[in-house]
Amino acid sequence: MIQQIKSWLEDATVDIFIGYRDVDGHAVPHGYTADRLEELGNWTVGTHRYPLETFALHLARIHPEATIGLLGRDCNQRALNVLSVWNQLHADRIRVLSLSCCPSALKTRADCSYLVPRKSGSFKHQVGVDAEMEAAELEALPSGERWARWAYEFQKCIKCYGCRDICPVCFCAECSLESDELVGTGKLPPEVPIFHLVRATHMAGRCVDCGLCEEACPADIPLRLLYRKVNAIVEDLFGYQTGSDTAQPPLSVLGDRVELEPLPMEKTG
Amino acid sequence: MTVKRVRFIQELLRFVGLEGRVHLEWISSAEAGKFVQVVTEFTETIRRLGPNPIQRTVRPFKASGPRRLGTSSAPSEAETDAESSEEPAAASHL
Amino acid sequence: MTETQGVNAMECKLVPSICSYCGTGCGVLFEVIDGKLQGTMPMKSHPVNEGKLCIKGWHLHEHINSFMRLKSPLIKNNGRFEKATWDEAIQTTAQRLSSVVERHGPDSVGVLVSAKITNEENYLAQKFARACIGTNNVDHCARL
Repeated sequence: MIQQIKSWLEDATVDIFIGYRDVDGHAVPHGYTADRLEELGNWTVGTHRYPLETFALHLARIHPEATIGLLGRDCNQRALNVLSVWNQLHADRIRVLSLSCCPSALKTRADCSYLVPRKSGSFKHQVGVDAEMEAAELEALPSGERWARWAYEFQKCIKCYGCRDICPVCFCAECSLESDELVGTGKLPPEVPIFHLVRATHMAGRCVDCGLCEEACPADIPLRLLYRKVNAIVEDLFGYQTGSDTAQPPLSVLGDRVELEPLPMEKTG
Repeated sequence: MTVKRVRFIQELLRFVGLEGRVHLEWISSAEAGKFVQVVTEFTETIRRLGPNPIQRTVRPFKASGPRRLGTSSAPSEAETDAESSEEPAAASHL
Repeated sequence: MTETQGVNAMECKLVPSICSYCGTGCGVLFEVIDGKLQGTMPMKSHPVNEGKLCIKGWHLHEHINSFMRLKSPLIKNNGRFEKATWDEAIQTTAQRLSSVVERHGPDSVGVLVSAKITNEENYLAQKFARACIGTNNVDHCARL
């Protein structure tokens, strides 16, 4: 892998390669360049994941003409697809070196922080939403209980904006979550469930299911489960697979004809 | 576009347990009868769903001064417990 | 590093550091592109915060490049702040402080130190309060 990066940098296939370097045992993202090849001696790959494509995006905004190499896990790859669909990065100015991740029966070794199952305490099991739950399991519960469980989770929010800040596909210059009209300022928890549902809605056609938001959440809110459902809805309703599709996402194009019907009014009694 | 967004929101709200509270209907300005019918029906639906569960489950965060350590174990947990045991009842009420 | 050096001179690195806002000591990574601070990331492998940060930590980079940041001391003359040199500022502060201590006693002065300076500087500040001014009125903005 190091040889490959070295040759890419030497023959100027890429101007900069974003990978990880070892700093006192910590894997820290780093951009390797041809004039500092000796730095490759500190090359490392850890289990910790960072949104490398965000750094590539920031670089591309300053150096639009540069070709950027990137160490890519599957989630990075999906995020790059989304960023190119949304016209944030030029696909031909990005080279990806794939990294073994997302293990399968054929490929057991993987470098990913997501492989260690997280354990929730019994209290969270009782009243909250466990991150290891499947969407279907949750849907089997009566709606009142489902709401109570989500409300418990949303109320823990300390509004650190970490989920947005670490998100590789959150590139907007102006964010609805900072608009006073939608999310009031100076209150904790942020207006439940507006804050989380606004973000969930904006993740439609964007979320690449990398799980970084959930990892970065200090309040342990099962965000990945919520956005997984968002992706499932987008796929069910519009047949759009976020991250692997190169077409424009369904909520940004009008479409040729109306194919959906609004849901009928529920006659609950 | 509207129907796409509304369907998405309806599905998302169903997932978090707030279904039935968003409805979309196309009514022309000439269809007064339909307008009255839809609004009356939806008002009834909303009334049957009961009061907004958000206000009941979500409490504003109160800075209640420094919490004393050592006095009976974690008052916040006990509070939330009571809240959760109240919920199934609230669900049947819905 | 200047823009004129072109593509070859570009640089993108993340520099590990510790959040300076409070005493918790969360590990952060500063995103430096071409020598300029662009962003903050939580340090995933840091034992203290394990890849999580609060809202202040997430926006550490903002005050460094802020146009509102004061880069030189200001002295208030005739009701208006005027730019001054450090020598002038320190001289004025010393004079005013000693006149206050002389007139009202050392306990009329309090020293409030900050999480945004180092441990050693905080130590010096309390030493200054106790030894030079002669008061125990020392406090800190981030007593957790």
